[in-house]
Amino acid sequence: MSDNNKTKEREPMFSAKVLRLLKNPFNLENPITVQVLGICSALAVTVQMKPAIVMALSVTIVTAFSNLIISSLRDTIPSRIRIIVQLVVVAALVIIVDQLLKAYVYDVSKKLSVFVGLIITNCILMGRLEAYAMANKPWPSFVDGIGNGLGYGMILVIVAFFRELLGSGKIYGMRVIPQSFYDSGYMDNGMMILPPMALITIGVIIWVQRSKTPELQEK
Amino acid sequence: MENLFNLFVRSIFIDNMIFAYFLGMCSYLAVSKTVKTSVGLGIAVTFVLLVTAPVNWLVDTYLLKPGALAWLSADLADLDLSYLSFMIFIAVIAAIVQLVEMVVEKFSPTLYNALGIFLPLIAVNCAILGVALFVQEREYTSIAEVTVYAGGSGIGWFLAIASLAAIREKITYSHIPKPLRGLGISFIITGLMAIAFMSFMGIKI
Amino acid sequence: MEHSNKYIFIYSIVMVVVIAVSLTVVAVQLKPAQEDNIRIEKMQNILSSVNVSTADIPKKKVIDIYHRYITSVVGINHSGDVVENDAEKVFAIELANEFKKPADQQILPVYTASLDNGDTAYIMPLRGKGLWGPVWGYISFKTDFNTIVGTMFDHKGETPGLGAEINQSWFMDPFKGKTIFDQEGKFTSIQIIKGGAPDDNPHGVDAISGGTITSKGVEKMIFDNLTNYQAYINKQKKQ
Repeated sequence: MSDNNKTKEREPMFSAKVLRLLKNPFNLENPITVQVLGICSALAVTVQMKPAIVMALSVTIVTAFSNLIISSLRDTIPSRIRIIVQLVVVAALVIIVDQLLKAYVYDVSKKLSVFVGLIITNCILMGRLEAYAMANKPWPSFVDGIGNGLGYGMILVIVAFFRELLGSGKIYGMRVIPQSFYDSGYMDNGMMILPPMALITIGVIIWVQRSKTPELQEK
Repeated sequence: MENLFNLFVRSIFIDNMIFAYFLGMCSYLAVSKTVKTSVGLGIAVTFVLLVTAPVNWLVDTYLLKPGALAWLSADLADLDLSYLSFMIFIAVIAAIVQLVEMVVEKFSPTLYNALGIFLPLIAVNCAILGVALFVQEREYTSIAEVTVYAGGSGIGWFLAIASLAAIREKITYSHIPKPLRGLGISFIITGLMAIAFMSFMGIKI
Repeated sequence: MEHSNKYIFIYSIVMVVVIAVSLTVVAVQLKPAQEDNIRIEKMQNILSSVNVSTADIPKKKVIDIYHRYITSVVGINHSGDVVENDAEKVFAIELANEFKKPADQQILPVYTASLDNGDTAYIMPLRGKGLWGPVWGYISFKTDFNTIVGTMFDHKGETPGLGAEINQSWFMDPFKGKTIFDQEGKFTSIQIIKGGAPDDNPHGVDAISGGTITSKGVEKMIFDNLTNYQAYINKQKKQ
């Protein structure tokens, strides 16, 4: 990780460093398009905006709090059972999120089905815990979690936006393509609803991002 | 029998872990640079799935489900531990992967040399937990079904990673637009492969 | 950082206890809300089988609407006798659990609804197996126990775009007005016909192309479940 300065003086709550933690995941250190973490569990929920947003929020909450908890405990965790401790904390948080979803947004939780549980094995979590939380103070770790969760969620929401708009002519469940379009021969692209287009959409997002920021290009 | 065969074929081709559910994408993208390593990982995933899915099914059926503890005593029949299932599943998977690693190391050093480095990676492979959760959600009723489904999913995953690796080996010699190199093109190839796999959808057995 | 085995051991025990306690607290706290959601969903399903849509209505109001339409709920056995009159108890019955019991101990629910047009409809729950997992639903009949008023189907994990279509109105609507007994009063159930049912077939509806196994599963579910109700239906018809 880029910042390892061990300054002793008190930092303000939102120092430039902390703000960078929040901002970088949106572009230069985006978890999906740059770090290649956590693609697994969530693409299947990008057919519509609503489940994608709920999923993004759930992942953000779990990353932020697991970062916070592990970072606060980092000096007490015996290194030999480090991974197990991390897994248990993450699993516990995911169970709590799953129970909350079932209690308060039942219809969305049905759509997310097994994918909430799969947040546990989302590589983003273990990745950030190992790379950041184990070596940094609780507050920056918490912000790092939020930043990465949101950076990840952003990609989900972008993918879901295009798939819902082109696939069913709606945004967030609301019809945006007017009926007159359909009358004059426009049709929803059923292909967008099927899984392969999620992958291709991400490929295109990566393409656009890397054309704009050439330093990310691979040789 | 017909039912099991059907399930097997469908879990390989139609409900493919990668192409239909994007499970296990992290290691799929990271380890698919050469065919040799990806074949190793594919076999390891199939192997671990075949062990963990039935065990998790047994744990779910006899310990966690609402009323599952009825075989212990009638007083426990009302207990519903299913909220613990994520935790137990991941613990079972981590433990079994560890166990498999030790057993393989002891009894077959050649196999260990081939699979050894991949086993630790697998504990956090989404496909493994995904299969356990799908088995729970779809309420499979017999251990035979669960094993067949796990085997099929593993083979499907193996096919996906091996073919992507083969394509990526070839593609190193192609002219790809710079921003698309590496990750971008891998996603698009996977998408195109998924479209090809979708043609199996109409299959009727 | 090296720690002694004792430290690791105590650490793990404390961790497990703390997490187990907090998870149990959360699960117990949220259980009532979750169960309410499941109850309300069941009410919505029952209502939708008599063509009362509650999709856009706030959750809390669904309970009132349910009690306005559903006038009685009884549980019957395979010989067609009413064995349970407590509406709450019958509502809580899950067919999945009943089917695990021996046939003579099973209790099957029958819901009676009084509709807006003054008609009475009898609703029976269904449960069977699709391609990937369970399929279930409700089917409602006019007072002749022959003509279908409406149906409702749902599934857990059928293939999207194929088997999953069983919960769409294009699949469910054609069931309306079909009959399950032929002219001679013989039980025919409903056939789900691949390639489309002829319009004049009073017992047939269109299958889902590409979703053959799920369609067959729904057909078998209707047949199996209604077979269990035969004794009850015969007794009701005689009255």
